[in-house]
Amino acid sequence: MQTYRTGFAHPLDELRDELDRLWGNLVAAPPLHGWGSRPSAAAFPAVNVRETADSVIVEAEVPGLAAGAVDVAVTGDEMVLKGSRPRPEDAEPAAEGGEASRTPAVTWHRRERGTGSFERRLTLPVAVDAAKVEARLVDGVLTVTCPKAPEAQPHKVQVRSA
Amino acid sequence: MTTATTPREDSRATPVQPETRLTYQPNVDICDRGSEVLIVADVPGATAEGIDVTFEDGVLSIHARVPAREPSGRAVRQEYGIGDYRRSFRLGDDFDTSQIAADYRDGVLTIHVPRLAAVRPRKVEVRPG
Repeated sequence: MQTYRTGFAHPLDELRDELDRLWGNLVAAPPLHGWGSRPSAAAFPAVNVRETADSVIVEAEVPGLAAGAVDVAVTGDEMVLKGSRPRPEDAEPAAEGGEASRTPAVTWHRRERGTGSFERRLTLPVAVDAAKVEARLVDGVLTVTCPKAPEAQPHKVQVRSA
Repeated sequence: MTTATTPREDSRATPVQPETRLTYQPNVDICDRGSEVLIVADVPGATAEGIDVTFEDGVLSIHARVPAREPSGRAVRQEYGIGDYRRSFRLGDDFDTSQIAADYRDGVLTIHVPRLAAVRPRKVEVRPG
C-alpha cells in the first residue's frame, strides 16, 4: 500500500495504477493451457529475474532442451527466448528393433509436459549491454547474465567543495 | 483388473513433511509402449547425483534434489519456486521391477519400467495358407 508523501497523488490515480497492474498481469499471462496452478502452465518457459547493481540475471526452466536448442536474443531492454521442445516419442526410439516397431502402438496415460515451439518475450527492468550477455544451460535451467548498459549503471557523482 | 496394468498416482505414498523449502510435483508424461512403460518427468535444476528413484511395496517414488542457489540482488520477477521434486506412482504386479532403469539428461528424468515377459503383448504372425 502506497502512502502519500508528496501530496500530489490522487486516490483515483492510485486506483487507475492498480487496475493497470491487474490488467497487465492478465495480458502478460494468457491462459494458453487453462488456468493452471503454476504460472508456468501459461507461459513457457517460466522465468525468474533478478537485478543486481551491475547486471540483470534471467533464469528460465527449459527441461529437455540441450544447449543450442534454445535461442537467446537481447536488444536494449528486451529479451526473446525461442526454441522447440522435442516430443518424447521422437527422442526415444522404440527399444526393440524391427519393422513392426517403426510405428509402435503407444498409449499415453498422462501428458503434462508441453511440446513444440515456444517464443517468450521479456522486458528487462533496464537496458543491458547486448554484446556482453552470457548464457549457460545446466540441468534444464538456462541462466542468462546481462551486464547493464553503461548508461543504466549507477555511477558515483563526486561532490566537490566550492 | 485394468487398473493393475497402469501406473497410478499414489498420493498416500507421497510423503508430506515439514520443510523450510517447498517441494514440487514434477510434470510427467506416462507412455505405455506395450513391452515397457516410460515415465518422463521434468525436474529442471536437479543434479544427476541428487535423484533417487526407489521402488517399495508396489510404489515407485521419485525424489530429485535441487541444490539451493544463493540469490543475489533483488527479485524483479518470480514465476517459479526452487525446491526438491517428489512424486510417486503405484505400479501393478505385471512389471519386472528388478529391471527398472532410469536416466537423466538436461533436466528430464526418464524411467523405463519393463513389463514381465509373460504379460507382454505378442504379435502373432499370420501366415498365408
